[in-house]
Amino acid sequence: MSAEPVRQFANLEAQAQRIMGVFTHAGYEAVAPAIIQPAEVFLDAVGEALRARTYVFTDQNGAELCLRPDLTVPTCRLHLARGSQAQLPARYCYNGPAFRFQAAGADLAHPREFRQAGIEAFGAPDAVQAEAETLAIMVDALSAAGLDRKQLHLKFGDLYLMRALLNAVDMPASWRSRLKAKFWRPSAFRAELKRLTGDAASRGSMLPPALIEALAKAAPEDQDAVISAHLEGARLETFGARSIAEITEHARVLMDEARAAPLPAATAALMEAYVAIEVPCREASGKIAAIAASAGIDLARPLERFDARLERFAALGLDLNAATFSGDFGRSLEYYTGFVFAIAAPGLPQLSPVAGGGRYNGLMRLSGSPVDIPAVGAAIHTERLLAAIDGGVS
Amino acid sequence: MTGKLVFAVPSKGRLMEDTTKVLAQHGLTLRKTGHARGYRGSFDELPEIEVAFVSASEIAAQLKSGAVHLGVTGEDLIREQIPDAEARVNFIAALGFGHADVVAAVPDFWIDVRTMADLDAISGPFRRTHRRSLRVATKYLNLTRRFFADRGLTDYRIVESLGATEGTPAAGTADLIVDITSSGETLRANALRILDDGVMLRSQANLVVSQAASWGAATRALEAEVRRRFQG
Repeated sequence: MSAEPVRQFANLEAQAQRIMGVFTHAGYEAVAPAIIQPAEVFLDAVGEALRARTYVFTDQNGAELCLRPDLTVPTCRLHLARGSQAQLPARYCYNGPAFRFQAAGADLAHPREFRQAGIEAFGAPDAVQAEAETLAIMVDALSAAGLDRKQLHLKFGDLYLMRALLNAVDMPASWRSRLKAKFWRPSAFRAELKRLTGDAASRGSMLPPALIEALAKAAPEDQDAVISAHLEGARLETFGARSIAEITEHARVLMDEARAAPLPAATAALMEAYVAIEVPCREASGKIAAIAASAGIDLARPLERFDARLERFAALGLDLNAATFSGDFGRSLEYYTGFVFAIAAPGLPQLSPVAGGGRYNGLMRLSGSPVDIPAVGAAIHTERLLAAIDGGVS
Repeated sequence: MTGKLVFAVPSKGRLMEDTTKVLAQHGLTLRKTGHARGYRGSFDELPEIEVAFVSASEIAAQLKSGAVHLGVTGEDLIREQIPDAEARVNFIAALGFGHADVVAAVPDFWIDVRTMADLDAISGPFRRTHRRSLRVATKYLNLTRRFFADRGLTDYRIVESLGATEGTPAAGTADLIVDITSSGETLRANALRILDDGVMLRSQANLVVSQAASWGAATRALEAEVRRRFQG
């Protein structure tokens, strides 16, 4: 991609000032996290999928570094670097470049260098209030930049609801965590549902029958020795990081799964019905409650929280009439854990929202925090915003 | 632009010998031009074609960029180096040599891990125990990412390995590998086992056409002539 024209630079700078003005006025501290990040910490936090799109390099000392693919993890790290203060609630805002490899080639809607302007709130005690504020401030910032509020399309998702649904359904704990982990990949999720509804044999992975028998007879504290004896008998040499105890632990899981009845087809259908939901946001909780009730599941409390959030949005003056809820939404954003949203503007491709964000309670720990720190944040894709204001990209 | 059709052939070893043999079987007698160690050549039957001797992995890159019109190289290298291979090249013929499977393999003593689903199941507990993701040593970064992503496995890290990949689990620099194997002997020697559903690609040498090369009437006619000899 060629260097940006002077006019584009000037417009982006002016736009950034308006956006940052909204953020700082709302009480968010302006920060400039490092552009160059240690690859190890960063990529462990964001996962291999984003790694494929991250520019990684080795410096003259042999350290593995990367150009940040977004500003959320760098802001988490900046917060943690404040040491004891990291325990206190904090609110940050930023505007700066991020870098992503575009496998299909870079273009105006998918540049390899782009500027993100965003906010992050860490440790806020009232989660629903923090989420509502985050969304309201993003809408304010887009409006201050020149977009018409009435033209914005809000789309909501809630990974917390999906987890609540999975927690309410009766199944072995290992299946539940597997489905939760696979939620990010629709095709893998569907394949897993299909696998779990099959009988034990079709679910695959059986340990040798003699080993299963020996493990079943042994007391829990003797099971490691059973595995060791089996490996010795089969002349299987051990090496590397994974220990006998870890094999035993997973073998127990496999034996529990083998004994478990298949996942009822109705349960799989329930999951599929949830992810297929696509409704105006005010109809979402009714629809979800109905789907859950048909399977005898009570989601009253998680749905109360969902509705409370919508009320808080309305109280902050957000227009929810055109806002939609999608059961599927949030699946491509791996580190989100709860409420998620995207804001689309006219003139941009459907899959290129101008802003998005949500709750990511696990990310602080992945970024090195010894304790969980609740976090919610959002960012604006500033080049897309400018394009939308200029009348869209062709 | 000379307007010549450039045909890339592997420049050394077994691959070059097999390519020469198979081309001859299809009526294309390869001859090096200039001195014996030169990097250019021609076919006796179609002297208008310019043959370039290039390393097999470089052939994939040149087919992608369009620096050569036709080439013989492994499907594994094409799929690894050209993510959207179907849009950039055409496979004319599988040539029946250079067979190799790209596979995911784990330490044989991981008796509880037989499938990709098992690998997925242990990835979370592994991270909690060792405070890091499973490490996968490979030179096939793109094939690995695509295959693992298709199967919903996300909690892992790739360690790029440019040689002796099969030794990395024993050396402790990786936990499992993705590599090519033909007989499986090297994997066995390193106490590794292919996952039941861990064959990612069954590769062999292919005759491949670049869509990015500059094509004219004359080069198209020559390509059709080559095609006819293989698809005849």
